[in-house]
Amino acid sequence: MSTLDPRIHQALEGEIPRETLPPDLQRAVEELERATAALRSGPLPASVADRVMTEIRRPAPTLAARLGSWMATPRALTVHIRPLWTLAAALLAGLVLLTAREPAPVLSAEEGIADFVGRFPGARTVEVAGSFNDWRPGSLALRDEDHDGVWRGSLVLPTGQHQYMFLVDGERWVTDPLAGRYVDDGYGRQNALLIVRRTGHR
Amino acid sequence: MRDAPDAEVVARVLGGDIEAFGIVLRRYEPELLRYAQRMLGDPDAAGDAVAEGLVRAYRHLASCRDPNRLRPWLYRIVANRCKTHLGRRRADVIPLDEAPPVADAADSEAEVELAERLARAESALARLAPDRREAFVLRHVQGLSYEEMAAVTGATVTTLRMRVHRAREALAAALKEDA
Repeated sequence: MSTLDPRIHQALEGEIPRETLPPDLQRAVEELERATAALRSGPLPASVADRVMTEIRRPAPTLAARLGSWMATPRALTVHIRPLWTLAAALLAGLVLLTAREPAPVLSAEEGIADFVGRFPGARTVEVAGSFNDWRPGSLALRDEDHDGVWRGSLVLPTGQHQYMFLVDGERWVTDPLAGRYVDDGYGRQNALLIVRRTGHR
Repeated sequence: MRDAPDAEVVARVLGGDIEAFGIVLRRYEPELLRYAQRMLGDPDAAGDAVAEGLVRAYRHLASCRDPNRLRPWLYRIVANRCKTHLGRRRADVIPLDEAPPVADAADSEAEVELAERLARAESALARLAPDRREAFVLRHVQGLSYEEMAAVTGATVTTLRMRVHRAREALAAALKEDA
């Protein structure tokens, strides 16, 4: 239930003149407007223009350099998966392992494989960011090798629970519709939840 | 070139004129810094978020489908960087001791009053949930329309109106509490 008179909202949206309000509501509008005016003022953080121009003048890191940086960075990730999705993930992992060109990773008893799959036809890049990589885009890029709009990637993770989202084309955050479990991210969207279970030695 | 429309500036940058991106910085950096500062409550983090966002914007400039709407596109990128910083910090509420100090006693009465009002407003803003803080800042501090806000956040106009309403109510209550 609203705690402010609706006319206050209307005045702040410019839908009705403030002068038409009774004095007590006018004061409430003025209080909020003074606070807003204060928030529009005050010193700004230092300019970052020089920093930005220096960075963009530098050649962008190559894919090999980014991959090397990603592989050299230690990571931890916990994932929750429902039994049904565990079976699906295991089947998918099996398929990935059968068709993978590179050898399968060696896992410890406290690690598992998390497979990420998302359908984004027309996307140029799809990344995964989450609690396992400090929500940093650029560290786990999915691949669409068949160019069929289905993006895939795998990660070796410690057992446990993790949150994640997809980042499409570097600007659009998308909740994984296949995750099955979600938590509110405080921004009106939901993070997907993953569970990584022990897989034993390989 | 300085007064050229955004679409023309973007075309120049995409054509290989890196320095033309400086025009984008001069036009939008101040308001993006203000937005990030109000979202993160920390000038250093705000600077980092805006710098990261603008570098990403440069690198992905070709993906800006409508350069005439460059402004909401830039806001979207910086908003995502702010979300990343907030996620790392794991703090939905900005600690009060990070708020800027109130004006010095030697300042004029008007300056002291303004500084106190700013401190109260920042304190009240810091207590809002992130989605409501974002909606209030975009609408009332940055002056975006609801359609532009929808392009920035991905939320519907109806949802954004509700968030702004709730933000105003929470702010009014917080300002009354602090008065």
